[in-house]
Amino acid sequence: MRLRLALQTALLALALSGAAHAESEHAAARGGVQAKLSYCKDCHGVSAQGFRGYFPIPRLAGQQTEYIENQLRAFIEHRRTNNIMFNVAHVLSPAMVSALAANFHDLNPAPIGGAPRQLAGEGKKIFEDGVPDANIAACAACHGPDATGSGEIPRLAGQLYPYLIKELTNWGKERGQNTAKPDTSGIMSPVAHSLSRSQIEAVSAYVSDLR
Amino acid sequence: MKGISLRSAVRCAVALTTLLAVMPAGPTRAANDAASVSSQDVRAKLQYCEVCHGVSAQGFLGYYPIPRLAGQQVDYIQNQLQGFSEHKRTNNIMFNVGHVLSPAMITALAMSFHDLDPKPLANAPKELVAAGKQIYEEGVAGANVPACASCHGKDAKGTGQFPRLAGQLYAYVSLQLTNWSKERGEGTSDIMAPIARGLTEPQIKAVAAYVSYLE
Repeated sequence: MRLRLALQTALLALALSGAAHAESEHAAARGGVQAKLSYCKDCHGVSAQGFRGYFPIPRLAGQQTEYIENQLRAFIEHRRTNNIMFNVAHVLSPAMVSALAANFHDLNPAPIGGAPRQLAGEGKKIFEDGVPDANIAACAACHGPDATGSGEIPRLAGQLYPYLIKELTNWGKERGQNTAKPDTSGIMSPVAHSLSRSQIEAVSAYVSDLR
Repeated sequence: MKGISLRSAVRCAVALTTLLAVMPAGPTRAANDAASVSSQDVRAKLQYCEVCHGVSAQGFLGYYPIPRLAGQQVDYIQNQLQGFSEHKRTNNIMFNVGHVLSPAMITALAMSFHDLDPKPLANAPKELVAAGKQIYEEGVAGANVPACASCHGKDAKGTGQFPRLAGQLYAYVSLQLTNWSKERGEGTSDIMAPIARGLTEPQIKAVAAYVSYLE
């Protein structure tokens, strides 16, 4: 009788400690995500609205989760070359990558602005219609009429003007760099190649102010 | 003798020149049209189309589902590009794309797409395929929906202005059948209007899933 009671007590204690352990692990994981988010925001801005550091550092707020996940993997797999982001990304667990992507997707700060406003009109036309005579596809076909993106296709609304210019100017030198692992970035290569400098500036100015 | 020979040589030359002038340059009008654009311009335009329509024109899920053009009927592609330019089919992006194309370029593009044969994207729910096959081959007699196969063919390859459906994107076929009369206008598209109306949403999804897997 006493033995049975002792056994029951022991089992109960074991069960309780197990539950407590699981809970503290969960809390630690949450804390881990919060700590990692604040680390990301050191460079990407307080609400991940983007930041002009030495380099233009992109807005992540409102970004498509699949795009963020794909880019973090791209840094790790050397599909996208960026030494700083390689070092950031290759220590992240898949669960952490998903948690970060979901958190960034839910943020919605105002764009930081700063682009020359007078370019927006021409940029809107390029975004919505493309430049058919120059074989430049309409951005809206894949990025959506509001530039919010879809899946692996990124949101452009509110993205930093200098970041967009840098990406479109530098596309083939930064993306799709692992020939053993061709990726969706190949879709943009001919588009980035065909756009003139002034067209790049115009379309970047337009989307950078979209909410 | 020498004089005759010269005269007959001149006659021959005149006859030959006349013949060359009236002879068509190619075996068909389409080939003739297509030959008047440079292959370099056609290649550049094809690459531009594939930015949205996917590698080998197999279709692509952008913000919108963007249809497969690979293996499509030449007449259908020509007819749709004209439809966009003439506002018979409403699509702002494709209006802008279509209205700058010369007839020769349209023909060259349509022939190029027709000759492509990549695998289908194949991302539809597989459990819908069997119901879709039945609708495709037999129609839904109770709802006055004819068998799709009667116009699009048993293999869904289409013919002339009837489009190929084999390998078409599940999301695209679903969207078209749901949205038919808001997007397409008068002309051959009228044929499909009552059929699209007669299909329920689950039937649309089933038949779209079925054709999306056909090679």
